[in-house]
Amino acid sequence: MDNLQRFATQIRNQQLFVLLVTGLTIIAGWWIGDEVLHIDPILLLALLFALAIGLSLIFAISGARYLSQPLRIVAQAVIHVAPDSANVPGPDVKSARLGAELVTNLVGHIYQLASVVEDVSGSGKKRELSADFVANNLPLPLMVLDKDQNILFANQNMLQYLKRSIDETVGQNVYSVLDLSFRSNQTFDKWLAEVKTGKAVATNYWDQVKLNLPGAKTSPQFDLAAYYNQNNPDGFETILTLFDHTIQYAQDDQALSFVALAVHELRTPVTLLRGYIEVFEEELGPTLDPQLADFMHKMDASAHQLTTFVNNILNVARIENDQLVLKLHKEEWGDIVRAAVADMSVRSNVEGIKLTADIANGLPPVGVDRVSIYEVICNLIDNAIKYSGDSKEIVIKTYVGADGLVETTVQDFGVGIATSVMPNLFEKFYRSHHNRDQIGGTGLGLFLCKTLVSAHGGNIWVKSKEGQGSIFGFTVKPYAQLAEEEKNGDNTDIVRGAHGWIKNHSLYRG
Amino acid sequence: MESPVTTSTQKGRKVLCVEDEHFISELYVRALTRAGYDVTVESDGQKGLKQAQTDQFDIILLDLMIPGMTGIEVLRRLRDPKVTPRLKAKIVITTNLEQREEIRLDIERQADAYLVKAEITPRELVEFLNTIK
Repeated sequence: MDNLQRFATQIRNQQLFVLLVTGLTIIAGWWIGDEVLHIDPILLLALLFALAIGLSLIFAISGARYLSQPLRIVAQAVIHVAPDSANVPGPDVKSARLGAELVTNLVGHIYQLASVVEDVSGSGKKRELSADFVANNLPLPLMVLDKDQNILFANQNMLQYLKRSIDETVGQNVYSVLDLSFRSNQTFDKWLAEVKTGKAVATNYWDQVKLNLPGAKTSPQFDLAAYYNQNNPDGFETILTLFDHTIQYAQDDQALSFVALAVHELRTPVTLLRGYIEVFEEELGPTLDPQLADFMHKMDASAHQLTTFVNNILNVARIENDQLVLKLHKEEWGDIVRAAVADMSVRSNVEGIKLTADIANGLPPVGVDRVSIYEVICNLIDNAIKYSGDSKEIVIKTYVGADGLVETTVQDFGVGIATSVMPNLFEKFYRSHHNRDQIGGTGLGLFLCKTLVSAHGGNIWVKSKEGQGSIFGFTVKPYAQLAEEEKNGDNTDIVRGAHGWIKNHSLYRG
Repeated sequence: MESPVTTSTQKGRKVLCVEDEHFISELYVRALTRAGYDVTVESDGQKGLKQAQTDQFDIILLDLMIPGMTGIEVLRRLRDPKVTPRLKAKIVITTNLEQREEIRLDIERQADAYLVKAEITPRELVEFLNTIK
C-alpha cells in the first residue's frame, strides 16, 4: 500500500500548500495595506476577510475537482465493466494527476476482477450445455465429445435420432453409441485419430453415412459434419452434427430394387429358354439334320449370352449404388479359368471359334470372389469372340507373373483396337467408334471387368494392334499375399467393396 | 434315348420343389424324375412350409418370390427351432431375384446352398443335387 501512503502524503502536502499560500497572502496583504497604502485598519480587515473568502472559494472549487479526480476515474472503470454498460467509455487513466500510480493500479485490479467474473460465469454457462438454448433448440442432431471421445452432450434431436435415452448416451464412448458405416475407408474415427496427432483445429464432412441401429429394419442415412478443436477451454474437443437424408438415399436404393426386379423378370424367361433348349438338344439333337442342330446350338448360345448381359446390368447397378460387396476366398485359380472357358465354349463353338486354355502348373491359391472374377473372365472371352472377325482362335493363358501375382490373358487375333480409343476402353458405355455399327454390346463389360479386378486388388491392361487382334490381361493376388496385406484375424473372409460400404472397423477394437 | 443325367444312386431321394413358376417346376420335375429323384411340387409359400415341416424330404428347393409367404420367411421358419424341429433336408435356395447384401448374408447363414436359376440348366441342377450328400 505504498501507493496509498504516497497518495495521502500528496493530499497533505496540497492542503499545507493551500493553507500556507492563504496565510502568507493575508499577512502580505496586512503589511502592504497598513505600511504601504496606509488603509484604515477596519477597512483593511474587511478587505482581507473578503480576500480570504475569495481565495478559499477558489481553492475549494478547484481542489474538489482535483482531489476527486482519482475517485472519478475508479468509478468510471467500475461502471465500464458493469454488465449493462455497453455504451459507457472506459476511464482515461493517463489523465490522473493526483495519485496517478494508485489510480492506475486500482483500475487494473478492477478490470482483472471483472474478467475473472466473466470467465467464471461464462464457462459455467457453457459447461451446462443442457441448459444452452442454441444447443438444445438447434434443429439438427448435435453431439459434443471430450478428449477421450466420450459424449459430453447430445441434444434432444440427437437422442431421438439415435432412439436412446440421455442416460444411455451421455458419458458413453462415441463409438459404442454411433455404429456408422462410411462410403470409403476415410472414416470418422480415422480422421479424428489423424487430427488429434497433427492439428489444433479441423473440420470435415462425410456424405451418405449409415447408422446401424440394432434391430432396426432400415438404417438412417445422413451426411455427417465434424468440428475439432484441441484447445477448447471447456474440453469440448469434437462437435458432431448430422443432416438426415434417409429418404433421399433410400430412393437411390429403390433404384437398385427396380433393377433387381427387372433382372428377375428377365431371368425367368431365360431360365425357361435354357431349360427347353437343353431338353431339345439332348433329346432331339441326334435326330436333327446338321443345320437345325446348328440353329439349336446358336439358340443356346444366345440365351447364354443374355444371362451374362443380365448379370452385367445387375453388377453395374450394384457398383453405382455402392452395393457390390466382394468376399475374397481362397480358391484354385485353374479350376475357375477352366470352368469359365468351358462355359464360354457354348458361345465360341457356334461362331466356329476354338478356345485354347493354357494353364500353368503349380499356380498358388488365389484370393477371389469366385462369382465376380468368373464374370471377368467370361466378359473378356465374350469380348474376344465379338471382336474376332474372321479369326477362329482365342488363347487364354494364366501364369505367375514377375511380380508374384497370378496373371491371366485373353488373346484374340481379330479386328484389334485403334490407339485413339485405348485410353477410354475401360469406361462405362464406351465402345470403339470404329466398331459401333458392326458389333453389338453395351459397353458395360470392360467397365465391369476393371471395377471388379480393381476391387480384388489387381490390375487390368490391354495391348492391341488394329487388324492384328488384342490381348487383355489382368492380375489377381495369391491368397497368401492378400491375407498378409489384410492381416485378417480369421483368414477366411476378406470383404471388399467396389467402392462400397466399408465398415468402420476400428469401432470394434474397443 | 436315355437321359445322360440318370443315375441309380439317387433312386428314391425325395425333393420338395417350392416354385410358383409352373414352366420352371415342370422342367425341374422332368429332369429330376429322370435322374431318379422323387419330386413333390408346391407353388405357394404356406403350403411349401407345411410340406417341408413333415420332414420327409432329403432336399428342399426353395424359390424366394412365391405367393402366400415369401421364401425368406419360409426359410426363417424352417430354421427356427421354436417353429420347426431340426429338418434332415438340405435347403437349396433357387431364385432369380438378387438380394440386398444384408438379406443375402442372412440367407447364406440359414440355407445350405444358393442357386441363380438363370445360371443353370435343369441338367446342371441335377448334377449339383447329385453332389449334395
